[in-house]
Amino acid sequence: MSDKPVNHARAAEHFIEDTPHLQFHDERLWDMRQKRDAQMHILPEWQELREEASRIKEHTLSRLPEYLEQFEANAKKNGIHVHWARDGAEHNRIVGEILKAHNARNLIKSKSMVTEECDMRPYLAKQGVTVTETDLGERIQQLDDQLPSHIVVPAVHKLTADVAKIFAKDYHTDPDIRDPHLLAEAQRQAARPVILHADAGMTGGNFVVAETGTFVVCTNEGNADLSATVPNLHIATIGIERLVPRMADMGVFIRLLSRSALGSPITQYTTHFRGPQKGGEMHVVLVDNGRSARLGMEDFWTSLKCIRCGACMNTCPVYRRSGGLSYGAVYSGPIGAIIDPTFNERKYSTLPYASTLNGSCTNVCPVKINIHEQLYKWRRVLVQHHEMPFVKREIMHMAGKLMGQPKMYRAAIKATEVSLSTMPRFVLYNWLNPWGKHRENPHPVKQTFNDWYRKNRETAAKPAAAPETKK
Amino acid sequence: MSTARDEILQALRANSPTPENHPLPPVATLGDLDASRERFITSLRILGGDVLEPLEGETLDQAIVRRHPDAKVICSNVPEAKGTLPVEKVKTPQDAATIDVTVVRAPFGIAEMGSIFLSEAQLPINSFAHLGQHIVVLLAADQLTANMHTAYQERPEFKTANYGVLMSGPSATADIQGVLIRGAQGVRTLSVWFT
Repeated sequence: MSDKPVNHARAAEHFIEDTPHLQFHDERLWDMRQKRDAQMHILPEWQELREEASRIKEHTLSRLPEYLEQFEANAKKNGIHVHWARDGAEHNRIVGEILKAHNARNLIKSKSMVTEECDMRPYLAKQGVTVTETDLGERIQQLDDQLPSHIVVPAVHKLTADVAKIFAKDYHTDPDIRDPHLLAEAQRQAARPVILHADAGMTGGNFVVAETGTFVVCTNEGNADLSATVPNLHIATIGIERLVPRMADMGVFIRLLSRSALGSPITQYTTHFRGPQKGGEMHVVLVDNGRSARLGMEDFWTSLKCIRCGACMNTCPVYRRSGGLSYGAVYSGPIGAIIDPTFNERKYSTLPYASTLNGSCTNVCPVKINIHEQLYKWRRVLVQHHEMPFVKREIMHMAGKLMGQPKMYRAAIKATEVSLSTMPRFVLYNWLNPWGKHRENPHPVKQTFNDWYRKNRETAAKPAAAPETKK
Repeated sequence: MSTARDEILQALRANSPTPENHPLPPVATLGDLDASRERFITSLRILGGDVLEPLEGETLDQAIVRRHPDAKVICSNVPEAKGTLPVEKVKTPQDAATIDVTVVRAPFGIAEMGSIFLSEAQLPINSFAHLGQHIVVLLAADQLTANMHTAYQERPEFKTANYGVLMSGPSATADIQGVLIRGAQGVRTLSVWFT
């Protein structure tokens, strides 16, 4: 994997060149945010639910080894095979071995961000396993050979015409279809035979219940249930942070998840897997992949509370106008920007800057992760670790010097005002001024605040201060 | 050689935040505790499901044919409906793929969400709930619980079933340009018949 920092700004530049895509993306995500707000307003207990969810998650994370062991013991008792994977490579090897032992060549799977993290599909392809994504959005992304651009709606950056073009190539449908219903039907018809003949099914897991050894999967399409109930072999890949202690805790999380994500009260399917089906076999792979290390990061461990609803992405003005792919990472948007650097600090060093720090992400987060504060803290860490682009570093350095010396600062402000009103554009707008790339510089003013203050207040304030000086 | 399991647990132990600072809150029961049929029906319709109301003198079999006039294969797992395909014929998960309408009984529903619960106890085979084109669900009106909190606290099925699914309306997607489509990969429609 290349360590070259992701050029988020340049990728975003490319994304915003196309107005119809940009406009749809922005409006669609904002619509999801507004639907989430409507659900929030229906429930007077909303803030209490968030507080509960946050406390349950923080508690669980503080005792994660105990709860993992409890889950494992209960799951084993119910006939589930439990595996542990330190990283993506180990996870892929485990899945590959299970499939090989069953001589399974065709795997159907529902959406799982952890398998994206592990880059599992290419690994299994090399082993001769055909992997078919069954979630519509994820399938579109698989056929287009792209990462999901959003954790809930993976193909949200595409328009109907884009999907029609992709399906025409692989499903031989009419490339001029403009009715999403026809395309969704084409996916249903194409997926059915694959599902019926699959050797194995794979899902992720939204929640893991220690008390009962259950894992819970939430979907809308029913594709996870098809993937898990049609083939007799079911493998679930789950991050080790997904635990909750008690079944009764699920009430809090199910009430928050889909309302926060899409603004629907609940996902169409909420499925509880506690053991294999009759004649079937069930495996759970618990994946660490950096999570245990993140738990030890004082400022960032609470990012492990995340339930992957995507609300922070939908509300983020930067995400909405730059698209998920511009982050160049499995996780995009505000939550991606605070967890991606834990995977590769250099490569994702630019992402914590893809934010205005407006705090909207924190306000909508159903488990109360202080996302915007973590974005800010990451910037500090990255500066300390020298993971900062040259121009930005130099500008900050000069600004720091300037602001520390009032006389020089005032002189500089005056000079700036003069240059803003007199200098030609090519001097003012170039690579040394990245701020002015997509923005107009501020209008020059006739009088600086300091000048105004000296003229109007300083003189007016003097007589009142006079008796003091006489003493 | 230490195993992955040991290494992960060891790393977690070394990095855990202080447990004393994060006590487990007591189980919460929040929000509207109305468990009425009216609330259930309103929620069910929001999620795209519907109620199958009997016309006067109509049997369940007749109502199903009225709702799904083009259905050729109707397979019932309840004594209240006969259907056209004996449920004993559904032996493998794939067998359910030919069914147009499946008929099942849910042990309970959740008024807040319009959800119905199904597990292996109500299904001849788990794929029965998903491979058919449409599903008709029988539900006793006195088996409604108010919301997700009461459901998880009161219903023993969550702790006993190996496979337990809450279906809230039919399958759906909005993955193509945000257009909501009912009937994605699972059932195209879900109708509730109160008993």
